[in-house]
Amino acid sequence: MSMAKAPVMEDKELARQADRARLLAVEMVNSLGLGYLGQVLSSAELLTVAMGRFLRTGLDRFVLSPAHYVTGVYAVAAVLGRLNAGALATYGRDGSELETIGTERTPFVDHTCGSLAQGLSVGIGYALADRLAGSDARVVVFSSDGEMEEGQTWEAAIFAAHHGLSSLSVLLDCNDSQVDGPVSSVTSLEPIAAKWEAFGWEVFEVEGHDIGSISSAMTVTRDHRPRVVVARTSPTGGLEALNGSVDAHFIKMTDDLAESMTEELVRRIG
Amino acid sequence: MLRPSPYTTVLKPYGSALVQVAERRSDVVCLGADLTRQTETDLFRDRFPDRFFNAGMAEANLIGMAAGLARAGLIPFVNTFGVFCTRRPYDQVAMSIAYPNLAVRLVGFMPGLSSPGGPSHQAIDDIALMRALPNMAVIDVGDANETRQVVQETLDVDGPLYLRLKRGEIPEILDDSYRFRLNRATVVRPGRDVVVVTAGMMLPTAIKAAEAASSEVDVAVVYSPVIKPLDGDTVLEAAEGTAGVVTAENHSVIGGLGSAVAEVMAEAALGVPLRRVGVQDRFAEPGSRPYLFSKYGLSSTAILDGIWELAGIMSPPPRVTEVEREHEGSFEPV
Repeated sequence: MSMAKAPVMEDKELARQADRARLLAVEMVNSLGLGYLGQVLSSAELLTVAMGRFLRTGLDRFVLSPAHYVTGVYAVAAVLGRLNAGALATYGRDGSELETIGTERTPFVDHTCGSLAQGLSVGIGYALADRLAGSDARVVVFSSDGEMEEGQTWEAAIFAAHHGLSSLSVLLDCNDSQVDGPVSSVTSLEPIAAKWEAFGWEVFEVEGHDIGSISSAMTVTRDHRPRVVVARTSPTGGLEALNGSVDAHFIKMTDDLAESMTEELVRRIG
Repeated sequence: MLRPSPYTTVLKPYGSALVQVAERRSDVVCLGADLTRQTETDLFRDRFPDRFFNAGMAEANLIGMAAGLARAGLIPFVNTFGVFCTRRPYDQVAMSIAYPNLAVRLVGFMPGLSSPGGPSHQAIDDIALMRALPNMAVIDVGDANETRQVVQETLDVDGPLYLRLKRGEIPEILDDSYRFRLNRATVVRPGRDVVVVTAGMMLPTAIKAAEAASSEVDVAVVYSPVIKPLDGDTVLEAAEGTAGVVTAENHSVIGGLGSAVAEVMAEAALGVPLRRVGVQDRFAEPGSRPYLFSKYGLSSTAILDGIWELAGIMSPPPRVTEVEREHEGSFEPV
């Protein structure tokens, strides 16, 4: 029974780490005055599971397709002890390696793209190379629901399924947020899970702020298909301070807003 | 340096050369997009099926997959028609390959008006598009012997290349003394009065014009298949003190060889006039190669007109029969 309890504790600790990453992101974005905070708030658990639990450093590949999420990568890396606070303080400043939109200089990711929806194809290239080399490395492509509007996503989905690239996993942050507002107000992507299923993928639809659900979806026994974790998330990350009315794609930060978000997160972390 | 015409031809020199390098290099992989035989890569597919990936008609994904393979340490050759690996997936080429400076070889077939398929298939702007991308080298190949050398000798170039190739039967214009070099253009014919700078399929056309002019004008031919980085020194050295330069390209005169030569001449303040033979900022239409090359001025006649104008000769230039091209592949719109 103790074996069964241990992961539960670990899940709780990972959940705290996700909130710690949110806290760091609020600091970074508030210090700069602007930034892509909504992406961190929606994806903190997804990135924490991917970087903190699933990916094996030096073996597996991590593609961050929407580079606008990179703030979350920095924050999670810092929480995991891979980046120091001094580096975080340079976030978004001229000359810093920690840019607001990820680039070739971005640490912790094997590929990222500010021009959206190019990442899955690159992940496929990695998976093909691993297959040729006889490697058992895994490829995680972090993607977002907005990227499903781009045709390249579906070109790539067709290819990966046809070739049975089972080492490939897509972590899909469905936060219903894009520049012009809710994704669902711009285009109808639903039924998202059924679309991927129809394209030949193994689909796991999960509550995207639940560490245990994300972890299970990433690790249960595989079949021959590539896998997509359709993670239902909120661009506020459950923070009441944002009151559900914020422009989640690009937040203009005020000290008051940062203060109330910080208080709320500190309370949640406990 | 130059073989005599009429030129013999070699069938599928690119496809054969790619198989040859893949025999000794296991890191060479081959990608395509539903144009396997048309890009001569049926040879590779049949010999190395595990290293051959057909994306289907999905060029955005094709380019991204090549980027991933290159990041994993492999050398992807991406084969499709020129329009489909430049114009169609331009952002993917720019952001997934050129910006990270990955060792991907984009191989674009059916250059310029060599395609009978009309504007959708005629790559008249591919050089301009690829030349504008940082890190990207651009090579417009025109000879069978050279095709083999380009495939072999650029294999370890640590960055992206755009190779512009004709398919099928390729003429042997340059003899065994010719050496392809990424940083050098070659004076294939010396001359003091006027210089013709050319690349790719226009090489025999330029040679024919130079020979036809020889009784009245001493015409040099500079062959510069590497359009980026252009060997400006060789062009300037040949052009200095002459009556002028004619560029001849199977491409729009905007953004290609003519533009590249104009840039180096202007920046060197050479003070030598320039005429650009090529597609004059127009889209063409479906048609046979002889018809299109004649109609759009990709001809020895057009080059001779330029030479005569620069040389200031009042009498008309000699009439010349155009280069025979019927052995360069069948009429096969795809």
